[in-house]
Amino acid sequence: MTIRVTFWSYFAELAGCSETGVELPEGATVGALLQRVYVDHPALAGLRRSTLVAVGVEYQDDTHVLSPGDRVSLFPPVQGG
Amino acid sequence: MNRSLLITTDPIDEAKLIAGRSLSAGMGAVVAFSGVVREREGDGAIAALDYTCFVPMAEHQFHRLFDRLAGRGTVESVRLVHRIGRVAVGEASLWVEVVSAHRAEAFEACQWLIDEMKRVVPIWKQAVPVTPTDPPAPAGSVPATAPSDPHPPA
Repeated sequence: MTIRVTFWSYFAELAGCSETGVELPEGATVGALLQRVYVDHPALAGLRRSTLVAVGVEYQDDTHVLSPGDRVSLFPPVQGG
Repeated sequence: MNRSLLITTDPIDEAKLIAGRSLSAGMGAVVAFSGVVREREGDGAIAALDYTCFVPMAEHQFHRLFDRLAGRGTVESVRLVHRIGRVAVGEASLWVEVVSAHRAEAFEACQWLIDEMKRVVPIWKQAVPVTPTDPPAPAGSVPATAPSDPHPPA
């Protein structure tokens, strides 16, 4: 399955793009997706501990199982206000 | 609980928002907060902040916070406006109003909502440095409404 990944804020600059597609086996988790993302975009790897992950519009952790068609967002800590 | 949420690139018109206020006869407290862009961010002078937002998720997360406020049963209404895009020094980036029967509940709910927003709502800001061609920020351009500290040091 192909998972669309969007990078927000300065993560887009570090990744060199605002969006990418990642091919993963069925049943893959957010953690597996992140491992692939960090191989393809190593500048983000050092920020893993502060990276926030959303699937659709909900926050998810590494154990969340992805489904075909999911849209994943990766971003740094938020700064509204 | 009545609720209103607006994420917009337009300037926040506080006078218009106040004119549109509605509260029932049992309500005795209205807390309104304006977050205003300061002239310094960290160690540097800035001309503005550029706000970006993942709008569908921001709206969803704001409404989840509103749901939690509604669950308290002490807030009659909440209205929140967050400006995105470029917001110049002295302009408001955030406006929040909470109406409840008593002030303690209204102050606490307003503070809680802003704290939680800064934790879960996907909005980011980037400083726009002052350049030699920028005019200075007009004196007195920052409204005197308090509290007004939207960008505490990390």
